[in-house]
Amino acid sequence: MKQKTLRPWLLLSPSLTAVLLILVVPVCFVVVYSFWLRSPIGQDIPAFQFGNYGKFFADFFYPSLLIRTIRVALETVLLCLVMGYIPAYFFYKTESRFKPILMILVMLPFWISFIIRTLSWINILGDSGLINHVLLSIGLIDSPLSMLYNEGAVLMGLLQYLLPFMILNIYVSLDGIDKSLIEAAKNLGCTEWQAFKEITLPLSLPGVSAGCLLVFVLTCGTYLPPMILGGPGNDMIANLVFKRIITTLDWPFGCAISTILLALVGLIVFTYNKYMGINQVFKSLGG
Amino acid sequence: MKKLISGWSLIKSYTLLVYIWMFAPIVAVVLLSFNPQQFGSFPMKGFSFRWYGELLHNPSILGAFKNSLILGSLTAILATSIAVPAALAFVRYEFRGKDFLNTLLIAPIMIPEVVLGVALLLFLRWLQQPKSFMLLLLGHIVLTLPYVMLVVQARMVGIKKEYEEAALSLGASPFQTFRSVTFPLLSPAIFAGMLFSFTISFDDVTATLFWATASQQTVPVKIFGMLRNSISPEINALGTIMIILTISLPLTAGYFIRKFARES
Amino acid sequence: MKDKLDKKLDQMYESYKAGQLSRRDFVKYVGIAGAAAGIMGGPFGMAGNAFAKNSITVHSWGGSTSKALKQFAFDPFTKATGINVVDATFTGMDAFLTQVKASFPPGGEFNIAHLSAVYDYLRYKDLGYNSVLDESKIPNLKNVMPVMINTLRNITDGNLSAVPYDVGQTGIAYNLDNISKEKAEKLGASLLWDKDLNGRLGTWGGDYRTNMWYAALHTGQSPNNITRINDVWDALKEQRGLMKKYWASGSELMSLLANGEIDATVAWSGRVAALQKQGHNIGYLAPNNTYSWMEYMYVIKGSDMNVAQKLLNFMLEPDAAIAVSKGQNYPPSLDPTKIAMPDEIKKLPAYDPTGTLKGYLFADPAYWNSKQLEWGEKWDRIMAGS
Repeated sequence: MKQKTLRPWLLLSPSLTAVLLILVVPVCFVVVYSFWLRSPIGQDIPAFQFGNYGKFFADFFYPSLLIRTIRVALETVLLCLVMGYIPAYFFYKTESRFKPILMILVMLPFWISFIIRTLSWINILGDSGLINHVLLSIGLIDSPLSMLYNEGAVLMGLLQYLLPFMILNIYVSLDGIDKSLIEAAKNLGCTEWQAFKEITLPLSLPGVSAGCLLVFVLTCGTYLPPMILGGPGNDMIANLVFKRIITTLDWPFGCAISTILLALVGLIVFTYNKYMGINQVFKSLGG
Repeated sequence: MKKLISGWSLIKSYTLLVYIWMFAPIVAVVLLSFNPQQFGSFPMKGFSFRWYGELLHNPSILGAFKNSLILGSLTAILATSIAVPAALAFVRYEFRGKDFLNTLLIAPIMIPEVVLGVALLLFLRWLQQPKSFMLLLLGHIVLTLPYVMLVVQARMVGIKKEYEEAALSLGASPFQTFRSVTFPLLSPAIFAGMLFSFTISFDDVTATLFWATASQQTVPVKIFGMLRNSISPEINALGTIMIILTISLPLTAGYFIRKFARES
Repeated sequence: MKDKLDKKLDQMYESYKAGQLSRRDFVKYVGIAGAAAGIMGGPFGMAGNAFAKNSITVHSWGGSTSKALKQFAFDPFTKATGINVVDATFTGMDAFLTQVKASFPPGGEFNIAHLSAVYDYLRYKDLGYNSVLDESKIPNLKNVMPVMINTLRNITDGNLSAVPYDVGQTGIAYNLDNISKEKAEKLGASLLWDKDLNGRLGTWGGDYRTNMWYAALHTGQSPNNITRINDVWDALKEQRGLMKKYWASGSELMSLLANGEIDATVAWSGRVAALQKQGHNIGYLAPNNTYSWMEYMYVIKGSDMNVAQKLLNFMLEPDAAIAVSKGQNYPPSLDPTKIAMPDEIKKLPAYDPTGTLKGYLFADPAYWNSKQLEWGEKWDRIMAGS
């Protein structure tokens, strides 16, 4: 019995050690640093005060960035889901000889650096980009459409980056579904759509929820798409962290913002886990 | 029956549209790698292999490419080999603090990389240790761990416990059961996890910027360094070569497998 | 075995507490002990030999800059001395300072850096990273414009921690297809506030100094002594409404101009020169009191000074300096009255044939650094629209 209770811990120990050493302990440093003082010259002064947090909540500027970040992240999740589920389902169903190639193609964009991929949207959406070039030359429009440097362009960049995560997560859980279940349902007179609704869809939910969570938290932490494709006023909270830590070298304040972001994302993940989380789904399936 | 087919073709066309959308920027990069001018915009003003030639004579980018490949491969192997047991623990066992630990292990993606980058350096400075390749590798393992975990976990849930229990009741040891029952069923997810892990490591900029020492800079770090002046189209050429390799390798491998199968 | 190890560790810890052992050594012993116990030897066990003695690291701007340096300075240097030069790139001055600040040991990982702007020279000094060069070991310094050397000398009490390397300007670039030269020259800095260019303007989002500088010129103030600061903020707020893009990198700057996304923006002179060379119809405007800056090769404290000085001398060889200058389109720090410059250099914006840099206005480092936090944050707020 004792051996049995020990086993999961044994299985977990390598990952836990790595995460504790590389992530948890260093992040404690971030939290400690968030109470420090920043001197005008640049060397930080150890202290314990809440000035950095006070500054964040002093007016609506910083909290509004936080709210915008959450809104954009939710939009991204929704769009990824809408765009990702059907292709994942296609991979699951298709019997094409080229299925492995099609799968690898999903990951292909990653071979081109994220920076380059993001920058290359400019070649497509820009005033002299591909779309405007085509529309102008077939005479559909008279002057270039302005498509860059707004929230829509930022969403494009984010989607392009995150969609593969969604597709692969959904596909992996779809692929794990026992196909005989669907056959059985059809034998009992279910239509294709009914079988999908009653069996495939519920069984793919772990992948869907994993994908959603992944996309949500990743959006909260990225700064490149808003930086490159966004206009004035599309910055998200990670841009602010980047600026505080790297541009103004205000580590204590940057650490305070990070701590707030961390707490917020942690809270969301916690709530998510509790009410409709991955583990909840695991349990219902495992039973 | 007719209705069914049209449903399927809708799915097919939708997938095709998503693909076109997803590949639009990639196609732009590939096309521009053949543009003789340094800055390209459409329509292109010619066709040349100039940047491919220059790439071959650029030891700095090629060296970075080698670093990226080594780092990515090691990360993929190590991250997957520690993530699979962890996923197994979460899906197959009940223990205290499971939810918490599960959240903890996916924490690396919840933390903005800038923070993680600086955090690890603060820690290292406190330990008074210089950076090393080991640090970079460990960092990447932790960064990519959650992806592998999520993929493997989602798949493992779909594998029925009964199969394993059957093997166990037939007298197999837990390890044997894992090797001959769980692992084969899990292998697509393991493969996907490794692919994930490799690509994320290969593409990571922000944290790598902080952790890599001067002699271990990866391709994305070099690209970031070029941003100030201008990104050389050599990078587009490198991306194109990578894409051609990734598409053609499985195709040729498949061809040879079929050929040998026929011969034997 | 285990007990013995624990005992040894306890002894270590005692001597660490008693102050006989530095934290570094302590950690090393713990690491070795860990390795013996097979737990976590990897990360620390290997750290010791991370820095080979016989090499020096140079961080510079990527792409053409580092390529020219490698070909004309690093490779010949390695050939002549047998010392390996690790050529690395950084992504920006601020990001690099962040890395240096977080590194250990000082000067172990970072040796020489190709930094821009004199306020950074002061920042490094204020943080205690400054070294002292032995100028007699760098004979090529005699070819460098004295005005540049003196600027640095004044900050570090008569010593040098760096050698000046090139000169640049942040002027205004504009699309000649849509804006006439006459109009641009008439408006000067106020071109960036021209209502006709609504939605066709850009500026560098990453630097409050550049933007405040031009706002000061626009509102008729001296950039190094802004007296009506609220006018500057109001001007920047007004400008925000006209802006299409706050760009973040030179690469973006060039693609915005080359693709005709914007008609006018503040711009680094070298980038404009690169665009002009490729045949784009872009004009460069340097209004009175244009923002000028200089780049230098900074030696970070803790580096091997002998090697660093030798290498700096190689980098100042006219061949190397001129090649780098061609690569990045900024004129070298060499005095054109002493060293003959090729035509390509003479055509570069910010090139001064007299070698005196008269009329070039540089940012006053003490003035700008003292307001860094406050102004940096204010600028962020303006960009975000509050």
